[in-house]
Amino acid sequence: MSKLGQVVEAVEKYNKFVLDQVRRARTDEPFGRDLLGRWNDIKAKIPITRAPTGLPLPRLALPEIDEPGEIARYLFGEGLPGEFPFLNGAYREMYLEPIREVESFEKNGESKEKKTGKKIPQVEEPTRLFSGLMLAEDTNERFHYLTRHQRTHRLSTAFDGPTLYGIDSDADGVFGKIGEGGVAIDTVEDMMRLYDGFDLGSPNFSASMTISGPAPIIMAMYIAAAKRRFGPKVVPRLRGTIQADIFKEVQAQNETIFPIEPSLRFLTDMVEFTTREMPRWYPISISGYHIGEAGSTPVQQAAYTLSNGFAYAEMFVTRGIPVDQFGPRLSFFLDCGLDVEYIALARVSRRIWAIGMRDVFGAGPKAQLYKLHTQTSGRSLIAAEFKNNLTRTAAELMLAYMNATNSCHSNSADEPFTTPSEEWIRLAAHGQAILLEESGIFKHTMNMLSGSPGMKAVERAVEAAILDEFREIERIGGVLAAVEERYQRSQIQNAAHKYEQQIYDGTRPIIALNKYRNGSDDIPEVKLARTPRKKQQLQVDRLAKFKKKNADKAKRALDKLAAIVERGENCFPALLEAVEVCSLGQITGRLQDVVGRFRPMV
Amino acid sequence: MPAPIRVLTAVPICDGHDSAINTINLEFIRHGVEVVYLGYHRSVGDIVRAAIQEDVRAIGISSYNGGHSEFFGAVVDLLRKKGADDIKVFGGGGGTITHDDAAMMKRKGVDEIFFAGTSLEEMVEFVHQHYGKARRKRARPKSPDQELAHKLTDIEDRAANLTALSARVSKAGSTRTDPAAVRTKSPRAARVIGFTGPGGAGKTTLIDELVLRFLNKNRQSRLAILSHDPSVVGRGALLGDRATMINSQNDRVFMRSMATRGQAGGLSPATHDCLALLARSGFDYVIIETVGTGQEAMPFQKNGIVDLTVLVMNPDYGSRLQLQKIVMLDLADVVVVNKSDLQRARTAHTEIEQRLEQNRRDQQLIDTVAKRHRDPGVDRLFDLILGGRDGALQRQSGSDRPRTSQRDVPTKKRRKR
Ligand code: B12
Ligand SMILES: Nc1nc2c(ncn2[C@@H]2O[C@H](COP(=O)(O)OP(=O)(O)OP(=O)(O)O)[C@@H](O)[C@H]2O)c(=O)[nH]1
Ligand SMILES: [Mg+2]
Repeated sequence: MSKLGQVVEAVEKYNKFVLDQVRRARTDEPFGRDLLGRWNDIKAKIPITRAPTGLPLPRLALPEIDEPGEIARYLFGEGLPGEFPFLNGAYREMYLEPIREVESFEKNGESKEKKTGKKIPQVEEPTRLFSGLMLAEDTNERFHYLTRHQRTHRLSTAFDGPTLYGIDSDADGVFGKIGEGGVAIDTVEDMMRLYDGFDLGSPNFSASMTISGPAPIIMAMYIAAAKRRFGPKVVPRLRGTIQADIFKEVQAQNETIFPIEPSLRFLTDMVEFTTREMPRWYPISISGYHIGEAGSTPVQQAAYTLSNGFAYAEMFVTRGIPVDQFGPRLSFFLDCGLDVEYIALARVSRRIWAIGMRDVFGAGPKAQLYKLHTQTSGRSLIAAEFKNNLTRTAAELMLAYMNATNSCHSNSADEPFTTPSEEWIRLAAHGQAILLEESGIFKHTMNMLSGSPGMKAVERAVEAAILDEFREIERIGGVLAAVEERYQRSQIQNAAHKYEQQIYDGTRPIIALNKYRNGSDDIPEVKLARTPRKKQQLQVDRLAKFKKKNADKAKRALDKLAAIVERGENCFPALLEAVEVCSLGQITGRLQDVVGRFRPMV
Repeated sequence: MPAPIRVLTAVPICDGHDSAINTINLEFIRHGVEVVYLGYHRSVGDIVRAAIQEDVRAIGISSYNGGHSEFFGAVVDLLRKKGADDIKVFGGGGGTITHDDAAMMKRKGVDEIFFAGTSLEEMVEFVHQHYGKARRKRARPKSPDQELAHKLTDIEDRAANLTALSARVSKAGSTRTDPAAVRTKSPRAARVIGFTGPGGAGKTTLIDELVLRFLNKNRQSRLAILSHDPSVVGRGALLGDRATMINSQNDRVFMRSMATRGQAGGLSPATHDCLALLARSGFDYVIIETVGTGQEAMPFQKNGIVDLTVLVMNPDYGSRLQLQKIVMLDLADVVVVNKSDLQRARTAHTEIEQRLEQNRRDQQLIDTVAKRHRDPGVDRLFDLILGGRDGALQRQSGSDRPRTSQRDVPTKKRRKR
C-alpha cells in the first residue's frame, strides 16, 4: 500500500475515533464532565470585541452546544481555528483586525500562537502582485511601481513562454514570444536586473516565482544573483516561494521539460538543498489551481492536489529529509470557482492534510498545516458582458474567505482578454479589501460563517468523494503510476469536455452567455502589452554576449553537471555553479542529453 | 460513403493551453472527423510539416499566449511557400483574439476564428461545411513528400469508397484496391518493419526511441512511419501519436497516421496499398505500428510486404496460460518485453522464453524500457533491426528485395551518449 492508501485508512480511522469520542463523552461521565469543563473554559477566554456600531461580539464564535457528545464532535472532528484537525482554519485569528476593545481577556497561554496567527497584514492591501513583462528591467520597474507605497515587498514573478519551457531567447521559432505574458530570463545577469534595488535578504522582502519545469535552474539563478549582490551570507535569509510542482504540470499545465522521474529527482535535489540552507524558503507550491483551470471538477482538484502533496512528502522522506523539516516549507495553491463544492473544498483539504501528515507521516504541528493561497477562477470569467466578472470574482472571494485561506489573489474582470490592465487589477484588489476590511463579515469574529448545516453537508460529501478518488489512484498503483497512465489527465479532460457541453446544452447557466443574453458584447479596451522587437533583439544580443564571454567555462560547468547527474548525486550544488556561466537553455539542453526530454501526453 | 474529414490540430510554441483544443478534438471526433493531434508547444515548422505529410484538409490552431496574428500568419505563409495552400487554417483562442485581430488574420488568409463563447456545435458545423466536400483537382505537388502524401490520400479515399461499396454488395468481400495502380517505379525498396502488440505495451514510445537512434546514427537517410489508431466506420478518430513521438517530428521522417475505419485486426483497409507505396518511395525503412491487438491477431500475415515483425509485449499479460493463446508469439521475428522496469518483467521474460522455445524457430527476445532515455535494451533492439549492415536481422528475411542504400551507414556504431 502506498502512503496514499494509508492516508485513506488514517482519515477513516480518525473519523471513527471522533465517533468513539462522541460516544465516550456520552457514556463515560468523568470524560464528559472534563470536556464540558474544557468547553466552558474556552468560551470564557474568548475576548469580546465591538463593531464600529458598538455591537459587542465574541472574537471567536462557537456552536451553541452544551452536551458533551456534541462538544467532542466539534473539538475532535473540526477543531478550533488553529487546532487539529484545522477544519476551521490553520491559525487562530486569520483575518481579524487587531483588538480594539477588549472586555474580558484572560491570559490563556496562547499569545504566541496569536502572533503567528496574524498572517494577513492589515496595513497593506492583502494582495500578491503577479507580474512579469518584457525584459528583466521592465519588470523590475513595474515591481518598484507596484510596491512604492508598501512596507513589505512581496513580489510575484511571471515568466515568459521560452523561460517556462526552459529554452533560451535565441531558440528556433521563439523570437516573437520573448517577454510575452511574463519576463524573459535567460541568465543570472537577467536575474540580477529583475530584482535590482530590492533588498533580497530583508525580512520584509519575499519573491515568488511561478515556474515549475525548469524551477531548479531558475532557483539556482536566483540564489546566484542574490550572492552576487549581497554575498554568500544572504542565502539563509532568502524568503520566497518557487512553484516547482511537477505533478500538476504533467496533469494540467503542460510545462514539463524532462521525463517525469528525472524531473522529480531534480526537484528533490532542490528541496534537499533549500530545506537545509534556506529555512525561510518555500521550495514547492502544491497547486490545484491549474488542475481546476484545466477544467477539472472541484473534487478532482482537491483530490489530485492532496495526493500530489502526499506523493511529494513520500519522496522527500525517502530521500531522507525529515518530515518536520520540509513539512512546514510546503504550501498549497487552490482555485476557487462558483461550484457549490467551493463552500468547503479548502476546509476539507486542510483537515485531510493534517490527519495524513500527523498519522501517516508522523509530522509535528507545524508540518501539519495546509497553508493555502487561493486564486479566484480565471476560467469562470468570460468575455460576454465581461463586467459581470466583477460579481463572479466577488462571490468567489467570499467563498475563499469562508474557507479561511491564508492569502488570496483575485482575478481582474478583463482576464479573458489579455494581461490585466491597471484599472481592473485595482478593482480586483479592492474587492478583497472591501470584503476583509470594509465589511464586517470577516474582521470581527472568527467562524463567522463556518459550520452552517449546508456547509457541513458539503463537507461530508466532498470528503467522501476525495477519499474515493484516493482509492482509485491507489488502485492504479499510487500517484506516480496514475500520472504515467494519464489517469488524472484523462479525468480532467473529460470533466472539461462535460463542462463545455453543459454550457451549450443549458444545464449550466452562464449569465449573459447562455442566459439573459442581450447580444451587445462590450469589450474592454484591450491594450496589448506587446514587447517591441527592439527589446526582443536586445535580449537575444545580450544572451549572445553572455554565451561568448563564458564559452569555455560553460563547457566545463556543463560537463561537470552532466557527470554528477550521471552518477546520481544531488545536482543542485553543480547547478549553482553552472548558472554562473551558462544560460537556462544551455543547462536544459545538457540535462536533456543525459536524462531525455519529456514525452508529452495527449 | 465519403472518407472522413481529416484535420490537424495543435497549440503554438511556448503555449500549453490545451484545454480548449482537447475539448474541441473530442467534439470533432464525436462528429465523424479524424483529428491528427500534434499537441501543445509546437512550432510553425512542425505544424506545417505534419499537415503536409498527413495531407489534412485543414489545420485548427488554438492559441492563448499571445502573438496569434504572427503565428497564424506564419503557418499560412509556410503552407503557401510549400505549395500546400489547399490546406486551410482556422482556430481560436478565447477572448485573447479580438475581433480586430481576427479581421487582420483573415486578411492574411486564415479561414475562420472562433471567439469565446462559440458553441461546440457551430465549430463542428463549420468543419463539415467547409472541409467536407471532396477536393477539386489538386495543384501539382511541389515536393516528393507532398506527392507521396497526396497519393496516400487517394489510396485512403479509394479504400473508403470501396468499403462503402462492398458493404452494400457483400458483407465479407475483399476491400482491397489494386496496389499496382499506385505503385511508383522507384527502384529502391525500403525494409518494412511491423510493430504490433497489445494496447499500451509501448509500441509508439519504442518506435520513437528507435527513430531517435536512427537519426543520430545516419545523417541523410530517411524513414517512414505508418501509424494506426482504431476507429469505427463513419466515425472520427483521435490520431494522437505525433504528440508523443517527439523525435519523429523531423524532416527526415515521413509519418502518416491512419484510422482503421472499422476494419478489425489492427490495420486499415488502405494499409496494404499505402505500405506498398511507402516501401517504394525512397526510404531506408518503413515502420508500421498496428493498433493495440488482441490475442488472436496476426495483422501482418497475409500482407507479404512486411519484412520483419516485432511483437511488443507488456509484462502484465496475466498468467502463463494466456501466452499460449497469443498467435503472434509464433509468428514474430522479434519479441520485445517492454516495461522491463516493472516487477513482473523477469517472470515475463522467462515465461515468454519458454513459450518461444516451443516454436523451434530463430526468434529473438529482447527486454526494453522504452520510457527510459538511452535504454541499453532499446540500443540492442536498434542494432538488431535498424542498425544498418551489422544489424543481425538485416539480411535474414526480405532479402529478395533490392537492399536499400547503406552507403551512408557508418560501420562503427555511434551511440548517443
Ligand atoms: C485555463 C487557463 C489556463 C490554464 C490552462 C490549462 C490547460 N491545460 O489548458 C492554466 C492555469 C494552466 C494557465 C496557465 C497560464 N496562463 Co492561462 N488562462 C486560462 C483561461 C482562464 C481560460 C482559457 C480556456 O481554456 N478557456 C476555455 C475554452 C474552452 O473556452 P474559450 O477560451 O472561450 O475558447 C472558445 C473559442 O475561442 C474556441 N476555440 C479556442 N481554441 C480553438 C481552436 C479551434 C481549432 C477552434 C475551432 C476553436 C477554438 O473554443 C472555445 C469554446 O467556445 C484564460 C483566461 C480566460 N478566462 O479566457 C487564461 C489566459 C489565456 N492565460 C494567460 C496566461 C498569461 C497564462 C500563463 C502564461 C501565466 C504564467 N505566466 O504563468 C500560463 C501559461 C501556461 C502554459 N503552459 O502556456 C493569459 C494570456 C494573456 C495574453 N494572451 O495576453 C490569459 C488570457 C489570462 C490573462 N488575462 O492573463 N492558464
Ligand atoms: N513503466 C514503463 N512504462 C512505459 C514504458 N514504455 C512505455 N511506457 C508507457 O506505457 C504507456 C503506453 O505507451 P505507448 O508507447 O503509447 O504504447 P502503445 O503500445 O503504442 O499503445 P497503443 O498504441 O495505444 O496500443 C505510456 O504511458 C508510456 O509512457 C516502459 O518501458 N516502462
Ligand atoms: Mg501506439
